[in-house]
Amino acid sequence: MSRLEPRGDPRPIPACAGIGFRGVHQQALLADRPAVGWIEAHTENYFHEGGPAARGLERARANYPLSLHGVGLGLGSAEGVDRGHLANVKRAIARFEPALVSEHACWGHAGGEFFNDLLPLPYTDEAVELLARQVGEAQDFLGVRLLIENVSAYVTFEHSHLQEWEFLAAVAGISGCGLLLDVNNVYVSSQNLGLDALAFIDGLPPDRIGEIHVAGHARSGSVLIDDHGSQVCDDVWQLYRHAVNRFGALPTLIEWDTNIPALGTLVAESRRADLILGEVRGLAA
Amino acid sequence: MASLREMQGAFAAALRDTAAACPVTPADNLSIYRNNTAVSFRLALEGAFPVVRRRVGDDYFRQLSAQYRARFPSRSGDLHWIGRDFPAFLLEHLHGTDYVWLADLARLEWSREQASIARVEPAVAADVLGRFDPAQLERLVFTLQPSLSLVASDFPVFTVWAANQTENAPPVDQSLPGECGMARARIDVLEVRPLEPRLFSYLSALSAGAPLVDAIAAAGLDQAGLVNALGFVFTEGLVCSVQETGT
Repeated sequence: MSRLEPRGDPRPIPACAGIGFRGVHQQALLADRPAVGWIEAHTENYFHEGGPAARGLERARANYPLSLHGVGLGLGSAEGVDRGHLANVKRAIARFEPALVSEHACWGHAGGEFFNDLLPLPYTDEAVELLARQVGEAQDFLGVRLLIENVSAYVTFEHSHLQEWEFLAAVAGISGCGLLLDVNNVYVSSQNLGLDALAFIDGLPPDRIGEIHVAGHARSGSVLIDDHGSQVCDDVWQLYRHAVNRFGALPTLIEWDTNIPALGTLVAESRRADLILGEVRGLAA
Repeated sequence: MASLREMQGAFAAALRDTAAACPVTPADNLSIYRNNTAVSFRLALEGAFPVVRRRVGDDYFRQLSAQYRARFPSRSGDLHWIGRDFPAFLLEHLHGTDYVWLADLARLEWSREQASIARVEPAVAADVLGRFDPAQLERLVFTLQPSLSLVASDFPVFTVWAANQTENAPPVDQSLPGECGMARARIDVLEVRPLEPRLFSYLSALSAGAPLVDAIAAAGLDQAGLVNALGFVFTEGLVCSVQETGT
């Protein structure tokens, strides 16, 4: 007899390291069942009803708690949020039942053109108001609380008069969203734009942080490029340790999206985050 | 002070045109966003059209991607749709050249791409026909798998597609006869294959909703051909449901 059991609440994301779910690792993840705490998938890759990608995620989420991470909503776009895209996110949430759903503090389209990139916002009162309103509307429509992530930046708008962390705290305060702290993005933006990375982390509201991302970046001349294509560097691990000391043990994702290595390398990288999380727990005990 | 909408409009203009003014510092770093957006567009396009990319080479594909993007910018936050107008773009762009066949190859690859995200419905077996009055058989209408796409070309695009599943394959002689065929999804398998022209015509008519009798006529099938064609759609698992027409 085969009968579908109601799944009930999705398994929560534990406060340990997780890895990004990539198509190339699908077979190995299913066959080897490595001990990673959870997986995170890019929401937009699972918008479609059929196909091996969606079936792979359905199998993987039976073994691991799942977080869905969106890259395409552009919640800070002044021209509004694409309702069709939002409806696709809602369908993906209903189908895969993630325990966390996140997006970015960015914009992505103007004049009808989508740039398919995480574009930076000016840190102004108007942008706080717009992003908070659109995050709030998205949360109401999706029926979930979102975690909103800081993006890496290569420029600042001349009109910005808030610090980025003040901007994020204000958006969270108005919309009720949580925050996803990407430590690598803090590092990349700080190096590129001459900001104080520690002040950034110290300026965020501790009760709002629900997840942390770490990743590798590349150097191009004097600029750091957030390419998620290598191991996490020591400076970022150090900043991560600072964040964990401040915010406590939190679900931590190893992001690796280009030059994707073997699954074992990713799992090894996740052990480093778990080690730091364990040390902080030890200190707190 | 500029509004958020104005600032994003200026940023968007600066992504398209290096001469456009944008209130950011350091302005030189806008080139990073220009590059990132161009690369993610091109990688999405390459993902959907790997065989076109192999046939034209990386450098020319890069040019095509930039020209296509200028003409058909992305209209969605979902990268999947970036390739939707690429076959039409190539047809227009390569019109009157010896390379216009690339448009048909792109059409085949887009069909495969669409099949890769389509639902796979449970197929019905041929014995379903036993439920109908034999006198009504020729009036039956079949609903075929949603993933099925039919592609016909004046060029040997299925041969080109099959020959270029790895890098650096030798070119296929474009003077070979045209081909027609299908792309469709099975569970965990995508299938791209040429079909015999009469079978293709019959499938085209069925997929357009024609009753069996009209599909047979459109394809010019004789009795033996009909038995083969009827068997084909069921053994291939292409039939999702069978209904009687209203007449």
